[in-house]
Order: sequence, then structure tokens, then C-alpha cells
Amino acid sequence: MDLISLYPTWYEPTVGSGWVVALIATFHVLASHTSVGAALLFAYLSHKAYREDRDDLLDFIKKYGLFLMVFTYVAGSITGPGIWYSTTVASPNGIGALIHSFVWKWATEWVFFVIEVVGVYMIVYLVGRVDKRTHMKISVIFGVASLATMVIIVGILSFMMMPGKEVWFEEGGYLNGFYGTNTFIQTGMRMAFMFTMTAVVGGIVVASIKDPAFKKEMTRKLGWLGIIATLTGAAMFQWYLTSVPDQALLVMENRLPEYFQTSIIAVLAGTLAYFIITMLRPQTLVQGFAGFMAVTILVAGLWPEETARESMRKPWVAGQYVYSNQVIGRDVPGMGIESQLPIIEKVGILQAHPFTPDHLRELNNGNQIQAGEFIAMTYCSNCHSPSETGIRPLHRYFPEGVTQERVADYVKGVLTTGNIAYMPKMPMRDDEAEALAAYLVLNNKGGQPAVTAAIDLEIEQRERALVEKNAQDKIAAIEMEGK
Amino acid sequence: MDAQQIAQVTDMMYALRNPAGLPTYPIIFVALGVLTFAMHILFVQLLLGTSLVALYAAYNNHPLWRRLGAAMIDVAKVSVSVAIVIGVAPLLFVQVVYDPQWYTSNVLSADWVISFIILLILAYWAMYYFYFQNYKREDKTAQPKSRWSLIVSMALMLVVGFIMHSLTTQMLHPELWQSWYSNQGKLDFSGSQLHAYNPWRFAFFISMAIPVTGAMLVTYRRFKSVRSDADHTYLNFAAEVGKKWILVGSIISFVLYVAWMASLPETAGNFATSFWGILGGLGVIGYALWAQIRLRGEAKFCSYMALPMALVIGLIVATSREVLRYDILNGFFNYNFFDYKIVMDWYSTGLFFLTFALVGGSVLAYFLTIAWKAGQTVGVYTPSATVNKMGTVAIWIMVLWMIQFFAVGFYIWAK
Ligand code: HEC
Ligand code: HEM
Repeated sequence: MDLISLYPTWYEPTVGSGWVVALIATFHVLASHTSVGAALLFAYLSHKAYREDRDDLLDFIKKYGLFLMVFTYVAGSITGPGIWYSTTVASPNGIGALIHSFVWKWATEWVFFVIEVVGVYMIVYLVGRVDKRTHMKISVIFGVASLATMVIIVGILSFMMMPGKEVWFEEGGYLNGFYGTNTFIQTGMRMAFMFTMTAVVGGIVVASIKDPAFKKEMTRKLGWLGIIATLTGAAMFQWYLTSVPDQALLVMENRLPEYFQTSIIAVLAGTLAYFIITMLRPQTLVQGFAGFMAVTILVAGLWPEETARESMRKPWVAGQYVYSNQVIGRDVPGMGIESQLPIIEKVGILQAHPFTPDHLRELNNGNQIQAGEFIAMTYCSNCHSPSETGIRPLHRYFPEGVTQERVADYVKGVLTTGNIAYMPKMPMRDDEAEALAAYLVLNNKGGQPAVTAAIDLEIEQRERALVEKNAQDKIAAIEMEGK
Repeated sequence: MDAQQIAQVTDMMYALRNPAGLPTYPIIFVALGVLTFAMHILFVQLLLGTSLVALYAAYNNHPLWRRLGAAMIDVAKVSVSVAIVIGVAPLLFVQVVYDPQWYTSNVLSADWVISFIILLILAYWAMYYFYFQNYKREDKTAQPKSRWSLIVSMALMLVVGFIMHSLTTQMLHPELWQSWYSNQGKLDFSGSQLHAYNPWRFAFFISMAIPVTGAMLVTYRRFKSVRSDADHTYLNFAAEVGKKWILVGSIISFVLYVAWMASLPETAGNFATSFWGILGGLGVIGYALWAQIRLRGEAKFCSYMALPMALVIGLIVATSREVLRYDILNGFFNYNFFDYKIVMDWYSTGLFFLTFALVGGSVLAYFLTIAWKAGQTVGVYTPSATVNKMGTVAIWIMVLWMIQFFAVGFYIWAK
């Protein structure tokens, strides 16, 4: 049997499955980076509280910790597995590739997670119930555990862009996949970003401190932390760009939305200005202002960053060997993985897909639109939404009034051969390409309503034919009996 | 189903396996999956049961109930966190060996999978809302405010649990996946349906919240009774409620277990009357017996055994549940996880077990000792020199782990 590892496709018409993942991931990055940063800040403060025997610092930890627990820990600990869940439904082979190579890394990270979760409760609830020294120790453990979760996940995230070392393709081995230049730079970059987030979100809590002298001290601390972290982060980002594949840079230059550059610079400048203002005049730091900054960074900084990371990997989704549309497009001898393209070239995508319904396995006049839709969903919908909205809607890429013939030529000439760098190679038999073209043209003209109507018609005809055939069989059977 | 149809399903499942293979023997993942699932579901049951105590107390004027409710909402809150963080582990392991089934089941109900995340956050926030509305009040016997939020929280938690349940049930029906994907010949990419569930199975896992929470209450008395400010009337009341819940709950769960076994699909063969099928039920009813015998009177030692015993019962049930999956997928559909391709990776396998044992062991031993002692101390707890040393050792082990991480990394990178 020539089946390949393709799962059913989930199609979300409004924003598209890719954006659902990006939304959850963005939210998670905000929550988790804040948590890790806060954990390190707590370790520092608790240490200071112990050294200088200060209760106000511990009170601050309790207050900030409780706030974080409700918002970032609850949301962070749920959106974390949430990323798994969302990538599972949007890109099962992408997450599957990561899981199968890095299951033990994730399991190791999980040990630190458990420590973190127990730790955060202890840090908050044991203030004033254990001596300062013990609190300091708990905080240090908590800080290191949080940092550990971060450094582990960065290695896996880097692999998504590309395996740590090129030899991974030839030799395999988890270490070669995990560690690379990109991994280390990204670790530094994320740590810097994490401290920026800590400084901003910490401001929400500092804003509520009553004692002016203490408020000033904390504002200063967070301000310096924020300024240094932001500048380091910006520098790291430039360095990071030198470590990603050329292909990714190309995609980034050509394909990122116009506002990306401007928005990043504006956020950078705004963040620095924010820290300087609050440091100079701590009384300007009120909860509304700090909250506003956090949201601004989320919307104007993080969202473009997360979507950029998504686009830069195109056409791959993981390790430069799994395409965004879930097909494995490259041999990885080190892991005994073979490209699935030859099988598809041999039998066509409809025969190779384990979930092709029986009535679409062979093409005929009565199932073209259904088959075309199935192929578009399988091959294209991860990157192009077939609807009006969502990611790179398909209809925007074909001129109005385009003919089926032209589209079919394009599909056969460009898509099945893999001639465009940012799109996967998508082999199809000729009749499959025709079916896809028929669907694309219909979708271009009449959108989803036209497609649905055409499919309903096909199904109705199929059923009528079936009824007729059954009736004839019956007549034939009766005639046979009569003879 | 005829042999040819079954063969088609088998082929499909094998085709869906991830070609990267596994970094070690598949049985290890399955074993860890069973172990961590048992822990996950224990905390799920605790969070549901303790919420139920809080809810009952909120609608009951009895002052002892009120106090108990206030104490249990604290347990519920922490249990949610623990249930979630522990739930991550079986989530990881199930998709390693059962990826064909897990991914298909998820994709076909994708809207629900996404809702799961959102509903869980809302459920948790609703619980926190209830908590913050009430936790600062001095008078723990007054009627709690915003009782609706606790109801909302519990209702959402049940929906969340049902989604989990449905996803695991769908895994067991590979023969139906195709029909769910192309419903009566028309493809459905929406993932908007939950396609399969077994109400008895779901009710069984949820009902175990009652005996498990009973065990919690018995433990609670024992734990708090050593404090110098202990109120024994109150604590004895809690333990009596606990014992009743263990007895009544185990019987309810047992009945539901039998109903689950009676409603298994044909593909399960005669699992219900097999060794593991029977043992699961015996375990549940055995728990009631054990409690009847061992938890009489003060039960100074066995009160501490109530929760560990519940975990043991949970492990038996988790094993039965896993064997059921194996029996259906292997026994009927010839999908055998034992023959998953292996690309052995000793380093990462070893690193996990070492981290688990050394980092996890040293830190959690220290953390739990502190939490335990602090909970039993009135005022500020100052640990002994030994406990302090445990903390120092834990910190050093963590630091060494970090050094190891970067040292190995730079070595590989520079090579
Ligand atoms: C890996 C993701 C990916 C997949 C899968 C994919 N595309 Fe694309 N496609 C892109 C990107 C990225 C662009 C460039 C977008 C832009 O310029 O805004 C693009 C551009 C296009 C264009 C415009 C071509 C041009 O010359 O610029 C067409 C037409 C198109 N895609 C059709 C398809 C069809 C049809 C399918 C499915 C058979 C498909 N794509 C699958 C990522 C993908
Ligand atoms: C992010 C949080 C959670 C994760 C990651 C998680 C993970 C899991 C996993 C992996 C399984 C077993 C799947 C299998 O082995 O096939 C499971 C089972 C289950 N979970 Fe969770 N869970 C979470 C939260 C919850 C919550 C909050 C509840 C309920 C309040 C819950 C209730 C259940 C139930 C009832 C089952 C058993 C289903 C069955 O076998 O029928 N889970 N969970």
C-alpha cells in the first residue's frame, strides 16, 4: 500500500488554523516569559530580603506572586499544553516530528514544571510562615527551575526553524538536532525579552506600592532591568538574523507585512521611553499605564514577532524536512526518514492520503469539485485559507475571471514541480491538477456558497445514480429469477 | 466487519505513524503514561470532589461544613494546578506511541480541542474568583459570596473533562474515523463534533472524586490534628464525612465501573471478564473494604495511607484502562505499539531519568518537607539543620544540571 502519514485536515474558516495557533502561542509567550522573568526577580529579591532582613521585599513578592499566579501562571500553564493541543489539530505532523525527536527533552522540562508549580504556591503562601532563609532557598530553586524550562524549550523551538547542526540530517542524534548557533542566540534573545516583560508587568504591581521611597527603589530596579534587557534584546535580534537560513531571510524581506519593521522599532522606542519616564518620575507609574504598556508590547511587539517566526520557516513547519502541509519533503537518512514526494508522484495525492473517502479515490466527472476541495484542504489550507479571510486567502492569488485552463497550467507547471521557494513541492496527477483547478476557479468566482452548491449537486447525482443502479440490479435479479 | 475492512484500518494506522520513530522502547512510554495518568486523574478527582465539598458547604448553614468548605476550596485551587501540570505528562506519552489514534481523534474534533483550552482557563478563573471573594473573611461560617462562580467553575470543569473523555474514546474507534471525516459522503473539515463517548466510563472516572475526596478529608484530620491549635470537634467531623464518602463513593463508582464494562464496544472482545477487566472493579470496591477495616477510630497511621491507597487503586484502574486500549487496538485491529520503530537515543533517555530522580527527587523532597512542616506549625517555621542541608543540596543539583546543559551544548556546538 502506498499510504503516507497524512491526517484529516481541520479547517477554520474565519481566521484559519494557523492563526489560532499563533494567537495561543503569543498569549503563552507573554505569560510564560513574564513568569520566568518574575521567578528570577523573586530569587534576587528574596535573597536581598534575607541578607538585609527586610519584610517589605517579601510583601512585594507575595503581592506580585499572587497577581502572577492568577494571571500568568493559570493562563501560562494552560496555554502551554494549549500550544500542543492547537498545533496537534493544525499541524499534527509538525508537532509529531518535534515530539518524536524530543520527547525526553519535554519530559525533562516537565520535571522542572512540576517544581515550578509547587514552588510558586510555596513562595506566595509561605511568606511570613517560614524563616527568610528558607524562603530565599525556595525562591532560588524556583528561579533556576523556571530558567531551565526556558532553555530547554528554546532548543526545541530552534529545531522548528532548523536542526541545530547540519549533520543531523546525515547522522541523526538528538544532540545534533538540539544544539546549534541558532539555539544559543535565541536563548539569549528570549532571556532579554523575558526581563523586559518582567519589568513591564512588574510595574503593574509596583504601581500599587504606597510607601514612596520603596516605590521609587522598585521602580528604579525594574527600570534599569528593563532598559538593559531591551537594548540587549534588540542587539541579540540583529545577531539572530545572521543565524537563520538565507531562505528565511528572503521570505522575511519579501513577505513580511509592511508594518513589521516600523512596529518593532516603535515598540522598542516606546518601551525605552516608558522605563525612562517611570524611573525619573515614579509617581507616573500607575496601574493603568503599566497595564497599557503590557498590552502594547503584546499586540505591537509579540504578535508580529510570532507571525514572523511562522512565515520565516516557510515552506517548512519543522526541522526543514516537514512541509507546512504535513508532507515530508526531504530525506533524513540519520533518522531513517524518507521523503514522501516519490510516493505521491507515483500514485497521486488522492491515493496516497489515508483519509481520502472511497468515492474520491478515482476521479470522474461526478466528483471533481469534491476532490478539488479535498486536495486544496490537504495541500494548501495550512498556508492559504480557502475562505474570504484568514491566512493568505487563496482567492487573492488568482486574478478575477481566470480560466480553469490557466490555473491548471499554473498548478502543473509551478506547484507540482516545486518551482517557488516559499511553497512546498506538491505533486499531483494530471487529473488531480485539473480537479484542483476546477475547484480554485469555482472558489474564486462564487466563494464557499458556489463550492457548497456544486458539491451538493455532485452528491445528489451520485446518490441518484446509486439508487438507479440498485433498482436496475433488483430488476436484473428478478429477471434472473424469472428465467 | 470483515477481514479486509479490518486490514484496511490496520494499514491506515500504521501509515500514520511518525517516521522519526521513538528514542527508546515503546513500553517505557506506555508505563510512564499509565503512572502519570493515574496521578493526573487523582488530582482531577480531588479538584472536583473538594469543589463539591465547598459547594455543598456554601448552600448549607452548618458551621462545621462552612469551615470545611473554606478549607477545601484551598485544596481545590492547588489541585487544579497540579492536575494540569501532571496532565501534561500523559499528554506527551500518549502521542508518542499512539500518535495515529490521538492525532486523528483530536483533528476530527478540533473545535472542541481549542475550546478545551479556553474553557479550562475560564473554569480556573471562576474558581479563583470565588476564592478571592471569600478568602479574606474572618468569619468562615458566614454564607460565602458569589456562590454562582463556584457552580460555573465546576460545570466548566466537567465539560473540560468530558472533552478529554471523548478524545480518548474516539481513539478506540478507528473503524469510524473515515465516516466522521466524510459524513454520509460529504467531507467535513470543521472539527465541530464530538463523535464518540461512553457515559458510563465518564461517570465512573468522575465519580471516583467522591472516595478520593473522602480520603483527602481523612488525611486532613490526621495532618491538622498535631497542630497545637487543633480543633478536634471540627477535625473529627471532617474525618467522619470523609469515611462516609469513601464508602458511598466506592460503591457508586463500582456500579458505574460495571456499567462501563457492560457497555464496551464489540471490538473489546471479552475484556470485561478478563483479568484486568475484573481487577479494576475489585480494586474500587476493595477500597471501601480497606477503609472500613483500616480507618476505624483515630487510625493514626492508616489515615496517612488513605490517599496513597487511593493512588494504588487509581493505578490499577489506569492499567485496566490501558490494557483495554491495547486489547481493542491490537486485539481487534492488529495495531501493536510494541513494534514502533526505534531510533535509540541513550543520552536523552538517560538525562530524563537522571533529572527525574536527582533533580525531581531532591527538590520535591525538600519542598514537601517544608510545606508539610509549615502546615503543622503555628507561627513561623524554622527548619532544622538537616532540612536546611536538603535545600542546599537541591540547589546544587539544579546548578549542576544547568552547567551540564550548557557544557554539553557548547561541546556539541563546537565539535
Ligand atoms: C508552505 C505554505 C504554502 C503552501 C502549502 C502553499 N502555499 Fe501558496 N504561497 C505561500 C506563500 C508564503 C506565498 C507568497 C504569499 C505572498 O506573497 O503574500 C504563496 C503564494 C501563492 C500564489 C501566488 C504565487 C506567486 O507567484 O506569488 C499562488 C497562486 C499560490 N500560493 C497557490 C497555492 C496553492 C493552489 C496551493 C495548494 C496546492 C498553495 N499555494 C500551497 C505558501 C504556501
Ligand atoms: C491542560 C490540562 C490537562 C491536560 C494536559 C490533561 C491531559 C489528559 C490526558 C493526556 C489524559 C489521558 C489521555 C489518554 O491517555 O488517552 C487525560 C484524561 C482525562 N482527563 Fe485530563 N488533562 C487536563 C485537564 C483536565 C481537567 C481540568 C479535567 C477535568 C476536570 C480532566 C479530566 C480528565 C478525564 C475525566 C480523563 C479521562 C478520560 C477517559 O479516559 O475517559 N483533565 N487528561
